[in-house]
Amino acid sequence: MKELRDKRVIRGLLSEIEKRTRELPSSPRIMEVCGTHTMTVHRYGLKNMLEKVGVEMVSGPGCPVCITPNEIHEAAIELVTENENFILTTFGDMTRVPTRKSSLQKAVPAAGSMVKIVYSPRESLEIAGSSPEKQVVFFGVGFETTIPAIALTLREAIEKRLANFSILSALWIIPPPLKAIVKAKEIALDGFLYPGHVSAIIGEKPYQFIAKEYGIPGAITGFEPSDILLGIFSILNQIKDGNPTVSNEYSRVVRASGNPKALAVMEEMLETKDSYWRGLGLIPQSGLKIKKKYSAYDAEIRFNLRIKGGSGDLPGCRCGEVLQGLISPPQCPLFVEKCNPDSPYGPCMVSFEGACFVYYKYNPIIKNKL
Amino acid sequence: MCLGIPAKVVQIDKSNFGKVDYLGTRVKTNFELLDNLKVGDWVIVHAGFAISKLDEEEARETFSVLREMAEQEALANKNKEREKQSNKQKG
Repeated sequence: MKELRDKRVIRGLLSEIEKRTRELPSSPRIMEVCGTHTMTVHRYGLKNMLEKVGVEMVSGPGCPVCITPNEIHEAAIELVTENENFILTTFGDMTRVPTRKSSLQKAVPAAGSMVKIVYSPRESLEIAGSSPEKQVVFFGVGFETTIPAIALTLREAIEKRLANFSILSALWIIPPPLKAIVKAKEIALDGFLYPGHVSAIIGEKPYQFIAKEYGIPGAITGFEPSDILLGIFSILNQIKDGNPTVSNEYSRVVRASGNPKALAVMEEMLETKDSYWRGLGLIPQSGLKIKKKYSAYDAEIRFNLRIKGGSGDLPGCRCGEVLQGLISPPQCPLFVEKCNPDSPYGPCMVSFEGACFVYYKYNPIIKNKL
Repeated sequence: MCLGIPAKVVQIDKSNFGKVDYLGTRVKTNFELLDNLKVGDWVIVHAGFAISKLDEEEARETFSVLREMAEQEALANKNKEREKQSNKQKG
């Protein structure tokens, strides 16, 4: 496995990439969709190495903490500040997103209520089981990598008839925002690096329309430095051959048809909905919600939460534009001075995979500005 | 958040659960999303669930492609060096 980070391998791949880019009229611009890819690209200095060989990398909307709009966070915060004996369980990153109602981390819960950070959605079931007098709400946020785990947890709650358990869901599907970005044509893209673990669940098919209908090459890519370069190399070959497709460069983990059991449980428990994405606005069929027959376990229905899409954005925050690849973090006027990891203004700086946080962390020149 | 870690299956219980070894720590994991898992298989774990099994054959192929890249690069560098040397001698 050491080949994945071997310097000679990286140099070899960069050479091959340079041979291809030399034949092109201009630097190809490639969007890495997934926040974990953004992290790898910056952490290993790949962004600068790639610029030197003529490839421009742009970050995309694949950070669930970043694209979940503030009004959903505010609903979660309200659950625990305005109701007694509520336990809100959540993944860690979500607790630090600032909203008009403060953050989950800083808000003061009502009597007997609290916020608990969990690593797995299943922990919420255990908490609900051992605290029958509390209402336990799991703040379930994620893309297709996480959604099957949440769907299985929901199914288990129903089988166990856990009456004090429900899910406040913010479930997002990757292909629709890519379609929105390509259709909007606000940014010219020559290729997509598709997220490796989302693809382990959904397979190759959901991305094929990007190649077939829009003629844009793409590669399903893993998370080591060599994986990223293999993905880019594949895209450049597709450009050279004039043959846009969806190539699987993470075949050791991703099967062409994805994970059938994961897809089946998603199909069983959830259905698609139109969703508001931070920055991208309302995208049809871009989210998932709990099916009507299971709505007793849907916190939005159980607690009659009125969540108004697009209502919560903090003024001046340009995270939405960063998520579409329209600006890079340093182009936001708040970057560093008014928005940094110690006091983030927007979620792109909160999440460990947010483009702004990653940029800040791995670019020392920017920090020396302070 | 695509963070999924590769880990080795060390225990499979009857109830869809078991344990994986991740860098020496045994972590309780749910295996319901995968079929035909054996102790010794490597899986990708995300949020307490194994979501994919590592395919050894595909992994070997990928690593051999990467090794080829490294060798090609080493060869290209050797040739560059030789050229430099011979130019020096001529000069």
